[in-house]
Amino acid sequence: MTTRQESREAAHEGRELVEMSWDPITRIIGNLGIYTKIDFNNREVVECKSTSSLFRGYSVFMKGKDPRDAHFITSRICGICGDNHAVCSIYAQNMAYGVKPPPLADWIINLGEAAEFMFDHTLFQDNLVFVDYCEQMVKETNPSLLRRAETTEAPRGDLHGHRTIADIMRAFNPFTGDMYREALVISRVTREMCCLMEGRHVHPSTLYPGGVGTVATPQLFTDYLSRLLRVLDFVKKAVPMNDDLFDFFYEALPGYEKVGERRVMLGCWGTFQDPEAVDYDYRNMNEWGRRMFVTPGIVLDGELLTTNLVDINLGMRILLGSSYYDDWVSEETFVTHDPLGNPVDQRHPWNQTTLPKPQKRDLDGGKYSWVMSPRWYDQRTGDHLALDTGGGPLARLWSTALAGIVDTGTVRATGSSVVINLPKSPSFPDMQLEWRVPRWANTIERNRARIYFIAYAAAMAFYFVERGLDEVRGGYTKVFTDFDVPDDAIGCGFHEAVRGVLSHHMVIRDGKIANYHPYPPTPWNASPRDVYGTPGPYEDAVQGLPIFEENGPDDFKGIDIMRTVRSFDPCLPCGVHMYLGGGKVLKKVHSPTLGNSVQGA
Amino acid sequence: MSKEQPIRTGRRDARPDTPSHVKGVKEGNSTGNYDKQEGHLPDGRSTAARSTGIQAGSRDPIDPDSPSLSPA
Repeated sequence: MTTRQESREAAHEGRELVEMSWDPITRIIGNLGIYTKIDFNNREVVECKSTSSLFRGYSVFMKGKDPRDAHFITSRICGICGDNHAVCSIYAQNMAYGVKPPPLADWIINLGEAAEFMFDHTLFQDNLVFVDYCEQMVKETNPSLLRRAETTEAPRGDLHGHRTIADIMRAFNPFTGDMYREALVISRVTREMCCLMEGRHVHPSTLYPGGVGTVATPQLFTDYLSRLLRVLDFVKKAVPMNDDLFDFFYEALPGYEKVGERRVMLGCWGTFQDPEAVDYDYRNMNEWGRRMFVTPGIVLDGELLTTNLVDINLGMRILLGSSYYDDWVSEETFVTHDPLGNPVDQRHPWNQTTLPKPQKRDLDGGKYSWVMSPRWYDQRTGDHLALDTGGGPLARLWSTALAGIVDTGTVRATGSSVVINLPKSPSFPDMQLEWRVPRWANTIERNRARIYFIAYAAAMAFYFVERGLDEVRGGYTKVFTDFDVPDDAIGCGFHEAVRGVLSHHMVIRDGKIANYHPYPPTPWNASPRDVYGTPGPYEDAVQGLPIFEENGPDDFKGIDIMRTVRSFDPCLPCGVHMYLGGGKVLKKVHSPTLGNSVQGA
Repeated sequence: MSKEQPIRTGRRDARPDTPSHVKGVKEGNSTGNYDKQEGHLPDGRSTAARSTGIQAGSRDPIDPDSPSLSPA
């Protein structure tokens, strides 16, 4: 239910610009609006602004709460990756309470989270992203491309059973395509896997600081494993299909690599703790952070800047500039130094005070979004980098590949690629996949990385199941370590939500939460222009985007822009109103799934 | 029932930011609590007694030569 608002602006710097906006963007969760100025004569997007009309206020109402409630409350931030928030909050609490869960508890959390990655990526990729690449859509936006697809053989057709590229596109047609429907079944199976480990999806009931409440029987792991084998069949088919389709776009539309391309500025906060290394002590965070089964890191221009979580933490800056908030510089400083003695900036989440200031949206040089502008301060250059997550998987795979640390047998990082070994499954023999560091951080590569990360999570899950079962067979059934809540403490958790970096920062005073700031991936990706005028990643990726759509301004769908924004897997929970232009606001309750919107007041 | 008060409720005795824990009340997560519970061995393993808190001793195997296996 995307609406477009058009107005022509004559002769801006000698170019005829057409203003076009999509607000809200559909098939995502939330109130994201994209406002652009397009030069149709030169087929280029000249300017882009991304806005959010939704204020949440978690950082405001978390104050004064019992810190042990934090993961139950913050889980409700999101209706699709709530368990990522719960786990991240648990990591932050473990640090604050000084508690290390037994190894089995960490294996169980890893298994639950691996299932979540498989679930969410499958649902988003095959049921939401591919609507933009399916036969019906391509027929409307690029009919000549579809004609070519009809006659182009799929190079990996022997693996996935679709003869031409157009057959692949048909398989992704909503409701009728076979991959679309199979993906729905798989997202149910993976959801069951998450429930086995975390009690419930999407708000876990058996995860706590100090451990889990999951009863770790051998049957728990075999139930998980039998479902995982079904998922493998799907993954082994989906990866070659994705490769065929995306390679075809590069080949058939020369220059398509420029769509959504931006400077390689990726952030990954790491996920899947290694119980042998992690003690949740801030002072050792560099060591145990590097041992995570997805290596944290910041990739700048193809080079790995750091894998040190302490550096990552201290470099975080929350800037304002185009957001509806007052500055908190003169407010209280909660944490002056971290436990290692490093100074902590006033703009760091530990010291943030949220001061909302609702106002009218002003897209011409004023404030226009509820999203703040998280940036990472690069000490070498003094730049505040507008990192993006590449939709999550691109940054995770890129950082892991370059670091070259991960080696579990099922997954191996080589320094320039990630090799994924998938064992035999009901319909396929064993298969080795390799994700290689791409030449660009663009729309296609963000989407391609997503399907590879499903394979990564599946391969990792095999390793986690083995290690979990080792503990159970050894009789080590302990899944909880007891702890006392200190009167004063600080903690931070670093994890990956499905769509990218996730951090929770907590300050405890008098046994209650004094300050709490979750930073999920979408504030990084959807951030507006900051105080230095640096655009956020969506804006940056869409500005300068070449247009390949064959429709003219009158029936323009903006498919290349939509593909770009959706490649980041946007998530601004939960869209409730739609702007129709002319000041008329039509209120609707809508679900993120295509064609399933519920009419409401 | 008056219009002002369509549903009769009691007087609230908590504010929205009242923490769920009251100081002095025992907490399940407190240190030492895990060891006090039946069936938990100090090395992280457990016995059949872990399956219940009711007459835990009688959950052990009938034959003393049998292993006392954890339910998990």
